[in-house]
Amino acid sequence: MKKVLTSLQEAAGFVEDGALVTFGGATFSRAPMEFVRELVRQGKKNLNLIDREPAMDFDLLIGAGCVKKVRTGMLGFEVFGMAPNFRKKSESGELVTKEGACQPIIAGFRAAAMGLPSIPIKGMLGSDLLTISEVIGSQKQIQDPFTGETMIAVRAIEPDVAIIHAQKADEFGNVRIEGPFYEDVIKAKAAKKVVVTVEELIPNSEIRRMPEATTLPHFIVDAVVETPRGAYPCSCFNYYDVEYGHIQEYLKAAAKDQFKEYLDKYVHGRESA
Amino acid sequence: MNAKIETPEMMIYAMASQIENFDTVLHGVSSPLPILAMSVARKTHAPDMAYISGAEGVDPELNRIYPSSFDVRLNRNAVAYFGLHEAFDLAQRGELNLMYLGAAQVDRYGNTNLSVIGDIERPKVQLPGGAASAFLMPITPKVVIWVTRHTNRVFVEEVDFVTGQGYNHREDEYKKNEIVVISNLGIMNFKNPDRVMQIQHYHAGHSVDEIKENTGFDIRVAPDVSESTSPGPNVIKLINEIDPDGVRGSEFH
Repeated sequence: MKKVLTSLQEAAGFVEDGALVTFGGATFSRAPMEFVRELVRQGKKNLNLIDREPAMDFDLLIGAGCVKKVRTGMLGFEVFGMAPNFRKKSESGELVTKEGACQPIIAGFRAAAMGLPSIPIKGMLGSDLLTISEVIGSQKQIQDPFTGETMIAVRAIEPDVAIIHAQKADEFGNVRIEGPFYEDVIKAKAAKKVVVTVEELIPNSEIRRMPEATTLPHFIVDAVVETPRGAYPCSCFNYYDVEYGHIQEYLKAAAKDQFKEYLDKYVHGRESA
Repeated sequence: MNAKIETPEMMIYAMASQIENFDTVLHGVSSPLPILAMSVARKTHAPDMAYISGAEGVDPELNRIYPSSFDVRLNRNAVAYFGLHEAFDLAQRGELNLMYLGAAQVDRYGNTNLSVIGDIERPKVQLPGGAASAFLMPITPKVVIWVTRHTNRVFVEEVDFVTGQGYNHREDEYKKNEIVVISNLGIMNFKNPDRVMQIQHYHAGHSVDEIKENTGFDIRVAPDVSESTSPGPNVIKLINEIDPDGVRGSEFH
């Protein structure tokens, strides 16, 4: 085991311009928001983002001009409405939107995690999403060799970097996720590089006292960054709840054409945490 | 006494009534109405259902809902976590009995659109996306589509983009499952030989004619069409307890 503890600035260096990137969490739960803000501060460009149901993490990067392509099952702000920057830039053609569906995206991560080039799934037949996915080359109809059943082969999705915000880790990268995992363990295994931001560093001796609580062992993790309130304004289970008021402020800023002011205040001004 | 039932409560009750006891049911993202429907069902006619939250908790002791359907507080006192990829495994095995899905457009054959208005290459309106629709719609034994605005811009002759597959876009083996559409005006199904949408029930205070006028295609009327069953005071009380802030109203604005 080697120490992988580093700074947010260094860890953001794992994400190169144009990289295929995914984040842990789902909508407003455990998204690695402080890392996302650091990507904006470092002025990353042409990122290719993929996830099944992201929200503010993707929309913030899109609004800040860091993203070229996006593929999700759904990208919205739940009951608050559409993801404003995603919608605007998709409609203007500035952003290349290749909509996926939750299962093919999850299955693609699973294939990569298992070291397989593809994996078969059910469903999808008859959807126009399958048609566009066949054009992109992410899905293809196949016959199961044993039963002859028509299946959909989903191509493996191997992100260049997966960034996960977790509750605890030691300095070697043994990570504890508490509460729901979403696809975080699968994504970490699927990605070439894994950055984990954590609420709290804990000693290796504590990790060794309860190995069943370790969700990611150190050899899967390339960097650990101590980042208290690193999911804010999204929630981090056992630490803090989502701050819906902030999310509404974000939407209001975007709606009033004051998104730059929002970025100045909460991203560049670092007033967020 | 015959107090007027509000539209969200009417829809939630109709959605809850689709669940049978012992069903395994999942809700997805952006789903206040499905969460409330599942909560009503398990506290009334389906106490033995398995409730899988999109927030990943199994059979949580839900005491209230939040703007996010993935809010971790929705997992309060759950018996387990069950990830979405595991719920999808269950669906592929045919063991996820019922799923609620949304729609920005729905057509005669039950195709739904949650992707784009206009052309996919250059959308007039970029919608959030279909989430699990294209995967679950053909393989889940019962799919309940909920629509809070029954207008002829939502109920269209043909959807701009087939996100979720209706009966005309399916192979024979996938024509067996049941689609039910529940709107603010009534309950529609496809229980006829042509597998096209028909009005089965109209909610109290609404009518067959009103549904026809607000549907953008020639919708059929089931021979045994009737008024929907309205929720009793116990159901209204349950809904108000779990949603004191009226999150359920967000889709109706």
